[in-house]
Amino acid sequence: MLLQLKNVSKWVQSGGQKIFLLKDINFWVNEGDFISIMGPSGSGKSTLLNVIGMLDNFNEGEYSFLEDSVHTLKEKHRANLYKQYIGFVFQSYHLIDELTVKENLEMPLLYKKFGASERKSLVGDMLDRFNIVGKKDLFPSQLSGGQQQLVGIARALIASPKLILADEPTGNLNSKQGEEIMETFTQLNKEGVTIIQVTHSEKNMKYGSRVINLLDGSVV
Amino acid sequence: MFKHYLKIAYRNLLKNKMLSLVNLFGLTLGLASIMTLVFVVHVYYNADGFIEEEENVYYLKTFTTSGHDYNQTTYPLLEKIKNSCPDVVAGTHFFDWDLPLLSYQDIELQERRTSYVDADFFEVFTLPLKYGDDRTALKNKYDVVLTDKVSKKFFGEINPVGKKLVLNDTLSVKVAGVLEPISSYASLRLGVLLSTQLVEDYQNFKEHTGWSNSFTYNMIRLNANADVQKFENQVLDLVRQNYAEPSHIKAIKVVPYTEVRVDNIPIAGIIIKGAIATIIFVLLIVLVNLINLNTSVMYGRTRQLAVKKILGDHKKSIVFQFCLENGLLVLISLVVASFLFAWVLLPEINEIFGGNFGEIAIEIPNDYPVILYFLGLGIFITLIVGALPTLRFISLPIAIALKGKINGVRKNLFFRNVFIVVQFSLAILFICTAIILNYQISFMKNAPLGYEQENISIARIDLEYTDKESAESKFSEILDKLKSNPFVQDFSTTQIVPSAYYRSYTNFMDPESGKEIRIRYGRTDANYFKTLGIPLLSGRHFKENQSDTDIGTIIINAKAMKALGWTDLENKRLVNKGETSDGFEVVGVTKDFHYQGMQNNIEPLAHFYKGKQQLKNNNYLMLKIVKGKEQQVLKQLENDFAQIPSKRTFEYEMLSHKTNAQYDLLRGILKTVNFVAFFTILISCLGMFGLISLIAKKRVKEIGVRKVLGASITRILLLLSKEFIALVIIAGCIAIPVAWWLMNNWLQTFAYRIDIRWWMMVLGGLLALLIVGITVGIQSFKSAMVNPIKSLRVE
Repeated sequence: MLLQLKNVSKWVQSGGQKIFLLKDINFWVNEGDFISIMGPSGSGKSTLLNVIGMLDNFNEGEYSFLEDSVHTLKEKHRANLYKQYIGFVFQSYHLIDELTVKENLEMPLLYKKFGASERKSLVGDMLDRFNIVGKKDLFPSQLSGGQQQLVGIARALIASPKLILADEPTGNLNSKQGEEIMETFTQLNKEGVTIIQVTHSEKNMKYGSRVINLLDGSVV
Repeated sequence: MFKHYLKIAYRNLLKNKMLSLVNLFGLTLGLASIMTLVFVVHVYYNADGFIEEEENVYYLKTFTTSGHDYNQTTYPLLEKIKNSCPDVVAGTHFFDWDLPLLSYQDIELQERRTSYVDADFFEVFTLPLKYGDDRTALKNKYDVVLTDKVSKKFFGEINPVGKKLVLNDTLSVKVAGVLEPISSYASLRLGVLLSTQLVEDYQNFKEHTGWSNSFTYNMIRLNANADVQKFENQVLDLVRQNYAEPSHIKAIKVVPYTEVRVDNIPIAGIIIKGAIATIIFVLLIVLVNLINLNTSVMYGRTRQLAVKKILGDHKKSIVFQFCLENGLLVLISLVVASFLFAWVLLPEINEIFGGNFGEIAIEIPNDYPVILYFLGLGIFITLIVGALPTLRFISLPIAIALKGKINGVRKNLFFRNVFIVVQFSLAILFICTAIILNYQISFMKNAPLGYEQENISIARIDLEYTDKESAESKFSEILDKLKSNPFVQDFSTTQIVPSAYYRSYTNFMDPESGKEIRIRYGRTDANYFKTLGIPLLSGRHFKENQSDTDIGTIIINAKAMKALGWTDLENKRLVNKGETSDGFEVVGVTKDFHYQGMQNNIEPLAHFYKGKQQLKNNNYLMLKIVKGKEQQVLKQLENDFAQIPSKRTFEYEMLSHKTNAQYDLLRGILKTVNFVAFFTILISCLGMFGLISLIAKKRVKEIGVRKVLGASITRILLLLSKEFIALVIIAGCIAIPVAWWLMNNWLQTFAYRIDIRWWMMVLGGLLALLIVGITVGIQSFKSAMVNPIKSLRVE
């Protein structure tokens, strides 16, 4: 088992009243899973994804990732944990505008203190794998949305994470680009990468092997 | 990694071209100003650095019972002090006596700065010698020590120690040393140093140097642990025992030598303090402005920061990245500012203050600490403006930052507003200062002076003639020609002209009433008042005749008459205090006129009749020439003077030019204030510009929604700018009373001054408001004009 959430709740205080963003979530993920989180707007999908990605805290419950219980870890250890094992893909790509495609891919490796030659070969591999060698010296603004998202995925993958978290990865793309991205995810999943995606669309949901439906912060 | 950061920094600067340029411009201007002022302050404080243990050096200051003070004492006092006070390590006189002519082979030189000092001189002032030995120099009666500049005039680049100079064509003196150049801001202005043993032989010196004539400065080095108070009492005891008229002396103070420069030029202290205050102020403004702008930049980057953190970046490196970006900016500014400082501002400063303090230049061997200061300053600025704005953002929770939402902005609004208010208070303060100063200067310039300024030309006639007798006869020919020249209405040969009266005072007594008066005096000829058009209130002008019967008569001004309590001039005489002679007959009273700048009061004044018109002992030839014919007459005069062999060339200028020059320093200060005011408002507006664009960015949705709901452009303009306008109004409310108080105090130092009017203050405030209004307006308008479809489409 890769991770497990037990009775996780998250709320905000509003006018002396608790408003639950997540309520009593129980949920586990095995390595190699491809999970889709579905639900209408405001149902807590993104919040749940952020909790899993350790970008956000929760108020109650337990969360274990591999051997570690995340809820007891200090901020710094938690950050180390997600940096090591989790890759993020965002709806609006979040590439660094000032860096070229190549440099964007290289960035996570710089932070992890890879050597220059190693960085070069890993970046080269990624460019090959996603077929974007020709774009390596372009800046994000010079790419189409689909291409930017490909770079986003490549960047998430480059440090070989165990888990990819994708928050509406096709939300800003047209249907053809969206399909290509989903194909890419399927391919990755076959190669053994665990994927959790948040999505609105029934079509994208079907790429996953398991679906979790959320409504008003609870699993239904 | 570093290369990577550098790359991002560089690209970021390029990306925000406008903002970078604006930052660069403000920062460069600020740094250049700071550099210039730091340099001035540095030079000022290090100018006397050659004096070792300066804290042990003192000078004597005399306070009289009539309320005056001066830095001189009688000549024999120092010898007594040295003999009777064990705490004295060394002491030296320092005074001018005559301007001896020095010659070496065929080079002749009359150095204006020729001072007589004691053998102890080099023990008091540890001046570095380029050539010679400071242990022996000036110990010998016939020693002379030259500054490097003077030495070069005689000997060029060679070591002149041991060479003989001829003094006044009679005595031979030996060069015992050559001084290293010292800063022109130093307290000592040196040229030629001669021994007091030499001057003690002069007949006219022996006659005047008793216990009644105070003319010499005294510098004394005391033991490090000497009791200054006790020493002061000892000095006063000696004064009481020896002075001819000890009752006139209230006290002799022993003043630390470190205070001498401010004592000599009081405005120097104000200027240096002002400079330090301005350094702090400019630095503050630059910092606040950059922090505000950078904060706005950081808002735009919250998402990017979040992504970087997710990808594994550390907080430290985020701060480092931003510091690097700012460091790059600061470095470029520093380089540009250095050029601006060295080639524009420093010459400018020299022009403003050079006349009063001497010019300064950068000399790397002496001034290298300044370069270190500047580098330190650059690092300091980088750290502050790079680190401070980031700190708030790096601890933002990632999930929130990722959405680009900025929490906690409200909390910091207070500080931001305080910054803005402070910035604009200072700006308004400076604008008001500039306005008032402008009015004061133009008031002084245009006030009636009590004499004619127009059509009066002044020529210097003390030109160091080689043959004095033949010069005199040629000069009387020139005067004859002038008399017959129809374009010359009047002319006068005189020792003094308005704006150039000597600081000579004497104590007169009215032998009838016994009333005493301290009076400033000068010497002129019979035509002086006529030429200047100064009317007599009563009495008559001096009369020039063959036997010069008027020598020994004086004309006083109305002020003196009032001080003496006279109502008419019948049989009025004035006697030098303490003398029993008949004194001087007072023949006339003039209306008061401004013989010096309007900063100063009109004092009781006495003009002695100097005898018939001649070259001897006169400095100026003053001419009243028919309008439009000045050039013709003066050119002719120049040609005539060229016929008389002399060491200096004939020069002339207009009297109005001379009186105007009395306010040069003030104009310099005004120029500086104007610059700072301009700079402050510029920087403040740049900051404001950045802030508004940030706020508009944050409120882009709100603006969109309001527009969709039907808000007009004007409403949105108002919405965005009213807060800032309000802040500037608050700033005005703070600054205006402060400006009023400050300027009112400062104006008190002017004997003749304007009243501060309310509209000057309001004008200052309105000016600031107008500039802010335009800045804010432009930026708000840009945001207000954005099509709401675009701003609402995001997400």
